[in-house]
Amino acid sequence: MTKPMSLKIENLTKHYSLPQGDLAVLTGVDLTVQPGEFISIVGASGCGKSTLLRLIGGLEQVSEGRILFDETPIQNPGLDRGIVFQESRLFPWFTIEENIAFGCRKNLVESEKQQIVQDHIKLVGLLGFEKAYPHQLSGGMQQRTAIARALVSRPQILLLDEPFGALDALTRIQMQQEILNIWQKEKITVILVTHDIDEAVFLGDRVLVMSNRPGTFKKTLSVPLARPRDRNSAAFLALRKKIYDEFFSKKKTGGRSR
Amino acid sequence: MVSNPPPKPKHPFSFYLLPFILPILLITVWQLASNLDWLQSSILPSPLVIAQTLLDLLKSGELLKNIAVSLLRVLEGFAIGAGLGLIAGLIMGLSRSMERLLSLITGLLRPIPTIAWIPALILWMGIGESSKITVIAVGSFWPVLLSVIQGVRSTDPKYLEVARILEKDRVTLLTKVIIPSALPSIFTGLRIGMGIAWASVVGAELIAASSGIGFMIMYAREVSQPDVMLVGVAAIGLTGLLIDFLLLQLQRRLLKWNSVWGGES
Ligand SMILES: Nc1ncnc2c1ncn2[C@@H]1O[C@H](COP(=O)(O)OP(=O)(O)OP(=O)(O)O)[C@@H](O)[C@H]1O
Ligand SMILES: [Mg+2]
Repeated sequence: MTKPMSLKIENLTKHYSLPQGDLAVLTGVDLTVQPGEFISIVGASGCGKSTLLRLIGGLEQVSEGRILFDETPIQNPGLDRGIVFQESRLFPWFTIEENIAFGCRKNLVESEKQQIVQDHIKLVGLLGFEKAYPHQLSGGMQQRTAIARALVSRPQILLLDEPFGALDALTRIQMQQEILNIWQKEKITVILVTHDIDEAVFLGDRVLVMSNRPGTFKKTLSVPLARPRDRNSAAFLALRKKIYDEFFSKKKTGGRSR
Repeated sequence: MVSNPPPKPKHPFSFYLLPFILPILLITVWQLASNLDWLQSSILPSPLVIAQTLLDLLKSGELLKNIAVSLLRVLEGFAIGAGLGLIAGLIMGLSRSMERLLSLITGLLRPIPTIAWIPALILWMGIGESSKITVIAVGSFWPVLLSVIQGVRSTDPKYLEVARILEKDRVTLLTKVIIPSALPSIFTGLRIGMGIAWASVVGAELIAASSGIGFMIMYAREVSQPDVMLVGVAAIGLTGLLIDFLLLQLQRRLLKWNSVWGGES
């Protein structure tokens, strides 16, 4: 592997121009991510989480401030930053194998490519499903394929935008475990966006809480718990409650009627 | 393992019988009406007479020869028309400025019915093969052009984003993302184009030809053989049905990834 690179976001602002005027989505976002770190970002719907990931991914341009990756501003998407979206975005005309192979860098020798694809099919636990088409798989298996496709090019950073949002609770817990295994094995930087406080605490080295529009990080919590983490330990629950209160503290009494 | 496709659902026998009920009923009534002399045989011969003529024409090889001649013209014309439609459709679908550049010309030419070109083409190219093949090419060009443009345009931007993230070059983008995504739409255009091609060859042969299924019909009318005429008409319908069936099989094979288009329909 090449030397690990750091990601630095400095005073980032993003607004969209709409017919009725400018819409500020993100303001004053600052963040430094260490190589190999696992960052969780939680925030309410519409606060700009996806927008932030798309900016890091190079799919959008910053309005002000900068995002430095390995000291250079991000301009374009690239294979050094893998992205997994909420919907798997697999190509329905490719088999699982072909979808994963589509993530490979070009100029690979065919045998090498096959080996890499095979390794990743094993990594995400899809052995035996190489020749299946996406519509023949469950939602969880589709997301694993999408994760494998994002990983085959050996990105420095993996950006996960609510990748398990559409999955049932049991599958989600299983996928969280798998993402953790992959992260430990590949020693990759992960930035995970989620609605799920439990998921954020279970996975992250740090949990960043985003405020509502315009979005900014209003709180950073480091999670000093050793892995594997116990979701029911007192320390885990205390952290969870702290984040929960960030969202609901103003309505802590009364208003229970709903 | 999921490598085996799921077994096709079994239909009851009546499912396969259903399409044949109405035609059989119609032919029976027709035959009865002929037997009762309600129909004049010089205008509408009875089904039995037509069947006898069909057998004669099959035996003499005349029918199959004429169908083969027409079919060859269709294949040549369709290959040219659909091929050009595919290329022009890709260019116009991919580039807004190219579409803009060509929009007025295509807008003017497209509403002209294919048969309206026949006299002009005969004037320019004579009554030989080339004028007929050109008519067919023109007829099949338009639906293919429009469906390719439509298919290319409707590529989901989410897929294009994935290709951008994975740093794919333009050729890969076109061949692995845009064209597969446009394929269901392209197939619809090909099937419509083939239907028009088959209809145009008959039209062209009705006007000027010395062979082909259209010529056979026209000649039968001139020599007052309504049974031969009707065999020709029926042969056009059957051949058209067969061609569409073959295209549908090809479509299922190529679109087997698509649960809607590749499945039973
Ligand atoms: N291309 C765009 N043009 C205009 N406004 C946009 C665009 N993309 C996002 N927005 C706006 O930016 C805001 C943040 O959107 P974003 O998708 O980042 O939210 P999110 O935090 O990911 O929400 P969710 O959790 O529901 O996915 C929203 O108000 C949205 O309407
Ligand atoms: Mg989002």
